[in-house]
Amino acid sequence: MIIDSECINKTDEQIVVLTLKNQDYYLCIMKRYEAKLLNYILKISNISREDGEDILQEVFIKAYQNLNDFDLNFKFSNWIYSIAHNTTISAFRKKKVRPQTVSWEDEDLNNILESTLDVENTSLQKLTYKQILKIINRLPLKHKDVLILKFVEGKDYREISDILRKPMGTIATLINRARKSLIQELEKEDIKL
Amino acid sequence: MKNISDKVLKKIKDNNIKPKPRWYFITKNYFIWSIFGISIILGSFAFGMVLFIIKQLDWDIYHYIGDSFLKTIFISLPYLWLIFLILFTGVAYYNFIHTKRGYRFKFISILLISLVISLTLGTGIYFNGFSERLENIFSEKIPYYNKLVYSCEEQWMQPKRGLLAGTIIEVGLPENSFILRDLENNRWKIEASEVIWKGKITPATGLKIKLIGKLIDSNNFKTMEVRPWQQGQGRFMMGGNR
Repeated sequence: MIIDSECINKTDEQIVVLTLKNQDYYLCIMKRYEAKLLNYILKISNISREDGEDILQEVFIKAYQNLNDFDLNFKFSNWIYSIAHNTTISAFRKKKVRPQTVSWEDEDLNNILESTLDVENTSLQKLTYKQILKIINRLPLKHKDVLILKFVEGKDYREISDILRKPMGTIATLINRARKSLIQELEKEDIKL
Repeated sequence: MKNISDKVLKKIKDNNIKPKPRWYFITKNYFIWSIFGISIILGSFAFGMVLFIIKQLDWDIYHYIGDSFLKTIFISLPYLWLIFLILFTGVAYYNFIHTKRGYRFKFISILLISLVISLTLGTGIYFNGFSERLENIFSEKIPYYNKLVYSCEEQWMQPKRGLLAGTIIEVGLPENSFILRDLENNRWKIEASEVIWKGKITPATGLKIKLIGKLIDSNNFKTMEVRPWQQGQGRFMMGGNR
């Protein structure tokens, strides 16, 4: 069994190479990503934690089966986020999962609003947590997805492009449109920015 | 949640799940690139055929028909091959975006790159004479090919407007006259005393031709100009009834 300390100083890509020789190393990769990926899955899909965990297991197994397809010139995190994105969307389409309100960290919600709209926190202070959540969940999935990747996961345009498998120009357009639809949703709540 | 990673590793071990072999992905990748390449090449052939057919068309007869030049273009374009060109470009695009880095390119860039390669190769194929050889093969082997590709048959079956087309069935009559069976199987006596034979052809039984001239009556037509049904027919198809 591989102990965590063996992986500490190794990059994801190095661990991938080791996993192909000894499957126990895969545990290090999974431990690095399980919390991040579960959060991401829950936020983009609005599903129950239980369903999210099922999807996450599917993601890890898919990633393991396709490990030889991972190109070491790419970032592993983008690759596994991409698998998580596709598996979640696919589960959503097959209606294998039940929508449910997912709890967000206050900080994540504020990040989305402030960074997307580029305004000071004070302008949005009158909004309650529930209101913000309702607004974000009303956004189309593709808009919510780019906003989460950019402002919650902190990915740059190139990384989002690799995760969503879309050109960078399209990502920029999507973020712009997401910003506009967020403003529209805020206006529906009588919030003027 | 703490146990997800352990659960997955246990599942992998219990079910003996293995990573798919590297050769599987390499083959898949080569397959996608091959389909992309084949689509580009087929698109090039389609464009070569488009060029060849456009060259075959008689752009100078629109004033006989009384149609505008634009309408003549609209009627005469080789739509079948244009559809093939679009189809193969579409298949090339689909495969390109499924390559490892294909998604990084914009739709318009991939489309333009695919089209530019197909158009360049297609032009080469046309100037190499390959389109002509293909055209001859298709005309002979594929039933109704000419009807599908050439929209000009109707244009040339307007004797009242001085246009007629068909196959010579008898030669050697007085004053260079000959007998023609038109595209609708009507028999015509063609008066050809002051005629210009274009495209290096000479009257011969079985030769398919287009005539520009004047209607005399329902069975007689005076021709001023004779053209081969297909350019290059004089060189390759002499005497062949197509």
